[in-house]
Amino acid sequence: MVVVMGATGAGKSTLAKCLNRTVPAFQAGELTGEIEILGEVMLGQGVADLAGKVGLVSQDFEAQLFATNVVQEIAFGMEQLGVTSDDMRRRIPAALAAVGLEGFDGRDPSTLSGGEKQRLAIAATVALRPQLLVFDEPTTDLDPLGKLEIFAVLAAMRRQGDTLVVIEHETAAAELADRLIILSDGRVVADDEPARLLADVEFLEKYGVRPPDLSRVARRFELSAPLTSIEDAEARLRARYAFPARAEKVASSAAISTGSLGVPGAQAKSEPLIEAAGLDFYYDSGQQALRGVSLTIRAGEFIALIGQNGSGKTTLAKHLNGLLRPLAGQVRLAGEDVRELPLNRVAHDIGYVFQNPDHQIFAATVLDEVAFGPRNLGFVSGEVAQRVAEALDAVGLVGLEGEDPFLLSKGHRQRLAVASLLAQRPQLLILDEPTTGLDYFEQRRMMDLIARLHAQGMAILMITHSPWVVAEYAERGVLMREGRVLFDGPLLDLLLQEDLLASAHFRSPEVTRLGKRLGLAVGCVDDLAAEVAKLIPGK
Amino acid sequence: MPLFLYIERRSLLHRLHPTVKVFSMACFFVAAFVSEQPAASLPLALGIAALIHSAGAWPNVRRLRIIFMLVFVMTFAVWTLFYRGGEPWVRFGPAAISPTSMRFALGMAFKLVTFLGVGVVFLSTTKIEEFAYALTRVGMPYKLGFTMTLAFRLVPVFIDAAATVVQAQRCRGFDFDQGNLLQRMRRYVPVIVPVFMGALRRADGMAMALEARGFQSPKPRTTFERYEFTWRDAAVMASSLSVAALYLWLWQAGWTRVG
Amino acid sequence: MRDLIDMWRNTRMVVLTAMSASLYAAILIPFKVLPIIPGVTELRPANAVPVVCSFLFGPAAAWGAAIGNIIGDFFGGIGPGDMFGFVGNFLYGFIPYRAWELLSDEDPVPRSAGAWIKFVFVVSIASSACAMTIGWGLNLLGFIPFRVLGNIVLFNNVAASLLLGPFLLSVIYPRAKRGRLLYRDVMPQRQRGRRTSRRAGLLVVAVAAIGGIVVGNLLSSGSWHPPFVPPSEGGTGAAAVGFGLLPVMVLLALGIVLI
Repeated sequence: MVVVMGATGAGKSTLAKCLNRTVPAFQAGELTGEIEILGEVMLGQGVADLAGKVGLVSQDFEAQLFATNVVQEIAFGMEQLGVTSDDMRRRIPAALAAVGLEGFDGRDPSTLSGGEKQRLAIAATVALRPQLLVFDEPTTDLDPLGKLEIFAVLAAMRRQGDTLVVIEHETAAAELADRLIILSDGRVVADDEPARLLADVEFLEKYGVRPPDLSRVARRFELSAPLTSIEDAEARLRARYAFPARAEKVASSAAISTGSLGVPGAQAKSEPLIEAAGLDFYYDSGQQALRGVSLTIRAGEFIALIGQNGSGKTTLAKHLNGLLRPLAGQVRLAGEDVRELPLNRVAHDIGYVFQNPDHQIFAATVLDEVAFGPRNLGFVSGEVAQRVAEALDAVGLVGLEGEDPFLLSKGHRQRLAVASLLAQRPQLLILDEPTTGLDYFEQRRMMDLIARLHAQGMAILMITHSPWVVAEYAERGVLMREGRVLFDGPLLDLLLQEDLLASAHFRSPEVTRLGKRLGLAVGCVDDLAAEVAKLIPGK
Repeated sequence: MPLFLYIERRSLLHRLHPTVKVFSMACFFVAAFVSEQPAASLPLALGIAALIHSAGAWPNVRRLRIIFMLVFVMTFAVWTLFYRGGEPWVRFGPAAISPTSMRFALGMAFKLVTFLGVGVVFLSTTKIEEFAYALTRVGMPYKLGFTMTLAFRLVPVFIDAAATVVQAQRCRGFDFDQGNLLQRMRRYVPVIVPVFMGALRRADGMAMALEARGFQSPKPRTTFERYEFTWRDAAVMASSLSVAALYLWLWQAGWTRVG
Repeated sequence: MRDLIDMWRNTRMVVLTAMSASLYAAILIPFKVLPIIPGVTELRPANAVPVVCSFLFGPAAAWGAAIGNIIGDFFGGIGPGDMFGFVGNFLYGFIPYRAWELLSDEDPVPRSAGAWIKFVFVVSIASSACAMTIGWGLNLLGFIPFRVLGNIVLFNNVAASLLLGPFLLSVIYPRAKRGRLLYRDVMPQRQRGRRTSRRAGLLVVAVAAIGGIVVGNLLSSGSWHPPFVPPSEGGTGAAAVGFGLLPVMVLLALGIVLI
């Protein structure tokens, strides 16, 4: 199992596509050099010729499913390759079992979750019995549970002895691998054992890979050998520093010292911006999405809303600006019932950035895109121009006014989406998974942008699955499961409740879990270092 | 709520051979087609109601009740006005109402509702793959049939995308229902463009994924699904054919016609 | 005509066909609730989609429009009239790109007065050909008078394509061009017939389509009874429209082959 990593534009995807000839078949350009796979020279082979030998699974599962039922989906490729019907009948259950989709036979793919769809795409490829399996960012569009499902499938395949090439943004896959390759600007910059490469913090950061927490801890405290686990890290740190005896109850941030994050004390006194009380909501399917949810948001807060897909996070967020109407309960915006307010009045106060920027970008130029909101709100052209300039400045897209938004990178499009809502000068900005699908550089840039807006006094409600994003940026944590709010309070208090988080398929960052074992409440490595420095003066 | 009308069940009608389903539908269309007066349509309509019942398709009838009603009312209105013949009671411009036209319109309204009923039976019991299979059996090229199922599978993806886009634009103060016809038409631009561009972004990836799974492979193609032709299929074929034949005979004898 | 067959060997074109079809259906289905004559046709902004797709995807849009229309019917109800819907929508997706190729070397994004005139012309003949085919077919079956359905389809097509089409094209076309997703980039273009004979074909299509709408209305209202049509005493006008428009349909088919 080989894992390939690197920043956006490093050439990872192009490399993967060369392996089954979709490059050059589907990509205008020039290909030189030679690829030999399984002892065969690839030159002159067609994509379909390789279908039974090389399997490619890519990020966009919707683009890889062609049928309206699961069995037919798996049969599709075999039909093309002339596998007999009897043989298909044997291979289909085996393929379903390989990805843990037993019993899904008659289902319509459109009723599956993202992780299930991706696993179905893998099963459909596995059924062709390829000798080489290539995965091009198979987990990028998935929630944590979906990612875990895919990683489990990859691990099982590796145990079976399958040959896998996996392109990934997250180091979790690299930890399973036999070899890790880092690409940058179309070149291989490293090809080594994963453990060795993952320990090199500067190197990883330079090439746009977020280093694992433990590597950063090791680096920060100048530990010589790589850390193998949180337990190992705890033992090594305890051996070096005089921590108090093993603290079992780091339950409340009030009881222990807090890092730079702290409790949002100042905001607690400010006026409530939004008060949602007793919200009930049902999907069209009759399933209950919200069960008596209440949430108050005050000016200037930074809230992380976490929970599994289907827990009701997005449904709740869409209630806050009146996109959805509750069956019971009420949402008040600055004291007024949202239901009574016209849409454009709500849009003045609340900006909602959808998960996928491509769901809102439509205009021919960046300028028109950002101006769309203010124009809808009825501002005169001078005011519109000023707001557009200000919003573009805030997100760092000045100078691109005349560009076609469609041609921008994903990171730029994400920032453009934020700008187009900033132009409404909202008091509250809701962001639905603002870092999904971005590489580490772009994720940092996006989060630093949000942090700046927050510092200027804007309230932020961010839905996210990313533990480090939550831990490093948010102040207050709201955890949802099955339509209920399970926790609402200071973020560190939430991050320390590992069992509660586990029940919602969320894990605190490794450094937080390490800190907890050491009796500290920390959200990032810098916090840990600061705490350690405080605890043992003079050392 | 499912988007399309297919109902997952194992009724007799569901289990028929796809070609038989299409053939029987055609037979019922013929029978309905030659029934010009309500008296002739009635037994057929009752028969179709029985089929709807056995297929468990009443929920679909309920779902389409507005369409059923509108088809009836509109057809009646249109032919009452535009059927030419008989002594007009009232005349306005190119249209006229006469007793003959009303009788004809009533028959036609029954007829079109019967068609709708036949369609509901078929759509409630037939998957898109079966439909495509049946069409390829009677000569439609495989790739055309496959494209139909692929398009079918993408419809919910695009409908979901469109719904999300509408919400995203509403968050930007976008109001759908303002202005005259021209302005309202233009208001679809912020909705249709993102959906369209999403499709375009996906097109290359989908083509690659298709070929990666062997589409366009030079090897001879096989089919996974084996639909078997049983005595049940033979019986249903024979019955549908007799219904069509009976109605044709009645029509030829002049019993189903108006006047 | 060859490209309509050749395109099936190109996986991207197959995908673009499926996407054209499902975009059409996905935008069509939500508006099934706003029927003018439900089950037969309805006022739909979706009717701009085949024209936009035609300029982008060429032959894929012709097949896509035909398939998309079937999928729309799968949502509401199918009947014998759908055959004509298939052909009519096929023409609606086929004519625009072919006609534009002959009239202009520029992008089909009307900005100048000249480009607008060409655009309106192309959209009008495509809409008319579609409306004539569907109106003729359904009146032939005796379901709906040509003067009702033909005119509704014509109005829907023209309104949607002229009010919405240029705006969509101005944003989407340049992007598809840069993304090399235009049919000319996706599929190697073989030499078509001589330009003069193709232009003659366009003229024939234009005369047949627009003439067909006029003649269809005259026949349907009974204002004109051509000598070659067997005499009938009014009724549905099925015979008059069915036989009377037949020569025009043949002319249209001839033009389509030439174009």
